[in-house]
Amino acid sequence: MNNAVVIKGTTYGFSVYVDEQAEFATICELVKEKFKESAKFFGAAKMAISFEGKRLSDEEQRELLNIIAANSEVQIVCVIEKNGETEELHRRSLEDCIQEQQLQALDSSNGQFYKGNLRSGQVLETETSIIIVGDVNQGATVTSKGNIIVLGALLGNVYAGAGGNENAFVLALELDPVQIRIADTIARAPDKVGKALWKREKEKTKEPKIAFRSGGNIFIEPVSRTVLNDIKL
Amino acid sequence: MGEVIVVTSGKGGVGKTTTTANVGTGLAKLEKKVVLIDTDIGLRNLDVVMGLENRIVYNLVDVIEGSCKINQAFIKVKGYNNFYLLPSAQTRDKTAITPEQMKKLTDQLKEEFDYVIIDCPAGIEQGFHNAIAGADRALVVTTPEVSAVRDADRIIGLLEANEIKKTHLIVNRLRMDMVKRGDMMSSEDVVEILAIPLIGVVPDDENIVISTNQGAPLVGNNTMAGKAYMNICKRVDGEEVPFLDLAGKGGLFSRLFKKN
Repeated sequence: MNNAVVIKGTTYGFSVYVDEQAEFATICELVKEKFKESAKFFGAAKMAISFEGKRLSDEEQRELLNIIAANSEVQIVCVIEKNGETEELHRRSLEDCIQEQQLQALDSSNGQFYKGNLRSGQVLETETSIIIVGDVNQGATVTSKGNIIVLGALLGNVYAGAGGNENAFVLALELDPVQIRIADTIARAPDKVGKALWKREKEKTKEPKIAFRSGGNIFIEPVSRTVLNDIKL
Repeated sequence: MGEVIVVTSGKGGVGKTTTTANVGTGLAKLEKKVVLIDTDIGLRNLDVVMGLENRIVYNLVDVIEGSCKINQAFIKVKGYNNFYLLPSAQTRDKTAITPEQMKKLTDQLKEEFDYVIIDCPAGIEQGFHNAIAGADRALVVTTPEVSAVRDADRIIGLLEANEIKKTHLIVNRLRMDMVKRGDMMSSEDVVEILAIPLIGVVPDDENIVISTNQGAPLVGNNTMAGKAYMNICKRVDGEEVPFLDLAGKGGLFSRLFKKN
């Protein structure tokens, strides 16, 4: 009896399997119950839905969608017909879209440019690697799922490999950030005890430097051929 | 058609009001038609620094709300023909006016005046947005301290985001002796961080305190600060003026040493 309605997750949403023999009223009741139970699990996700098993009329489908909407936060983006060519089309386009997004996010060899100074309070977030032509001042934040390259002074906060890419690196012409994060590792600037905060340590930072993660630590080194050879994109 | 200039800083106490009073007075001395607007509603003090507090009848909020005509709220500054102050309200707050209303007002005023100078309140909330709404350009005031420079950086970012592209920097209250000892940021250090053109450096000068307390801006007199402010006014007006040698008053020997 309870198996008259089965909800299965799929890559692009979920399918609702409806027993051929079940009465529509029972189906409604079961759908309501099941979605209420798992409302927390689904959250406010946007999903596609398909109905399998018993053939439901358009009106019946609509009624079930209303029940789902009333009993959970899930947003049904579209209904995929199980028995038709359209289904394959929908599936493919959705999958293509997801795959493309994943590829882009994973691929730190993809990048974009930003020209201008990032000032205190400004935040720049990118899915790909980012090259900033300008300074990143103290109080500004740059977050990238890939690498961060600053053609200027990097004095603020940077977070490379924000998606968890441990091979991400940060490179700047003047590298003196408040904090560097790479994947799940955080490094902060040494405390300037008894020294004026505004003094930029130019003698130490005047050459381009690179920050990378190795063995759970973040290292900062001058840019050299050997260091660059070790970079993994 | 005149220009609307907002004097802003982010941080409080760095000299926005003093700068507004002195730059406004200096431009009036250069025979420009000038009006000062105090947008610091609830914390009114440009009128005090200008020595005009006792003449206030109507204020900015009255003008915006239509309780009076704009000419009724203008306070004519003593000794000048075309120099007025539009004071702020003391019993209201920043939400009494909107950026759209301010823009409408300044658009109207710049038809009539050469310079409309707006004294911006500290902070980045509604008061700031009111003050910059109609501005064509900005004078960003900072002192050579990390906190003031950080706030100035934030303000410059917000000005850029609000499409105010012409911004100039005033470094206020600089102490050359401390800079020489390496205990204070130089104006060059500040410019390096903020990356906007410098329009003036005002030395830390006790005459500023004296003139502020007397309600008479010192611009144009023979003090270091007075000269520095006059130079800023000329630069605002498009004249090219060399920067003052602030270290120069140490006498012949220090001058000789400096050249080496």
